[in-house]
Amino acid sequence: MLGLGGLWLLWRRPPAAGVPAKSLRLRKVASGVSPGSTSPRALNIFDRDLKRKQKNWAARQPEPMKFDYLKEEVGSQIADRVYDIARNFSLALDVGCGRGYIAQHLNKETVGKFFQVDIAENALKNVLEMEIPTVSVLADEEFLPFRENTFDLVVSSLSLHWVNDLPRALEQIHYVLKPDGVFIGAMFGGDTLYELRCSLQLAETEREGGFSPHVSPFTALNDLGHLLGRAGFNTMTVDTDEIQVNYPGMFELMEDLKGMGESNCAWNRKALLHRDTMLAAAAVYREMYRNEDGSVPATYQIYYMIGWKYHDSQARPAERGSATVSFGELEKINNLMSQEKKSQ
Amino acid sequence: MSGNGAVWGRVRGRLRAFPESLAACGAEAAAYGRCVRASTAPGGRLVKDLCAQEFEALRSCFAAAAKKTLRGSL
Repeated sequence: MLGLGGLWLLWRRPPAAGVPAKSLRLRKVASGVSPGSTSPRALNIFDRDLKRKQKNWAARQPEPMKFDYLKEEVGSQIADRVYDIARNFSLALDVGCGRGYIAQHLNKETVGKFFQVDIAENALKNVLEMEIPTVSVLADEEFLPFRENTFDLVVSSLSLHWVNDLPRALEQIHYVLKPDGVFIGAMFGGDTLYELRCSLQLAETEREGGFSPHVSPFTALNDLGHLLGRAGFNTMTVDTDEIQVNYPGMFELMEDLKGMGESNCAWNRKALLHRDTMLAAAAVYREMYRNEDGSVPATYQIYYMIGWKYHDSQARPAERGSATVSFGELEKINNLMSQEKKSQ
Repeated sequence: MSGNGAVWGRVRGRLRAFPESLAACGAEAAAYGRCVRASTAPGGRLVKDLCAQEFEALRSCFAAAAKKTLRGSL
């Protein structure tokens, strides 16, 4: 979510021998539709290649557990929601699994077999201990290599916010679900890291005269509902949760974001963040948002969504005009219900 | 990345020392933060170098603190 320091970006593509010197210049900003895209509505906001490298780097860190706290928490919340559904799933899929934060909270009775999908191979190699048999698949969230009607359950925790074409990703998830299958997902919401975003904005304006986006764009709550509906899901539920984490300062927050693999990879990111601007932003962050004990908070807003794939057995809204009782008789509902029981 | 990563390591090392040096300049940082925050109040306008004075004070304090920590670590 954040571009930090420019120097490492210059070494992103070490040139092969024989490459002419002029191709070493920094990549120009490219927004909108890329030349080779197949669908006219395809967006190209994020550099997926870079995101894979960032996630690989994060998974290769000596102490990956240090940065896992957020994903662990959200993973356990999703596992709770899976348990809330009074059903056992024989085949489940985790899209953007990371090191498998959801599967470690589930047991063999609830989920028979788990497919873990991620774009970073190092994350799949360092998968956490779990009792459910798993199969790891290296695939992109937008191009799931599975047949239609395969899975009883699809879960996704904190990885869909890096997807370029979110409607298409949700449609793919809907496609691989069996009828009467369920999708439970968690995504970062609009208010996430607003303190960081504001501090950087103010500091950059004051120091450099303008500002560029450093925190990636998030989906709005209403749009999420519409997207799920458009993808074909039935009976959608979306609820939000806010997690506030306290950090000693802005630099520690940025380091943790990098360790989580959540560094910025949008095409329109600025290649360089000046040290002066970083210093100014840290000072502004502390002054505007600090807590009483001197730490600074960072807000993570999580949207949890549940969507079902249509099946005849699911409850449907009744036909118009088929009501047998009116709301005006609500006070007599006890009588009505005992009458029903007697007649049955 | 090329070579043994010496330059990379030095740059990252300097960046890791930022929080320590910033902690030593609490007063200047607070002054700068207050100046920027005041401009976000209704009627204020944030333009380039609005708080240049406060920032210069912060930067010199920060540079001095960074030199001290660097000397201390050598």
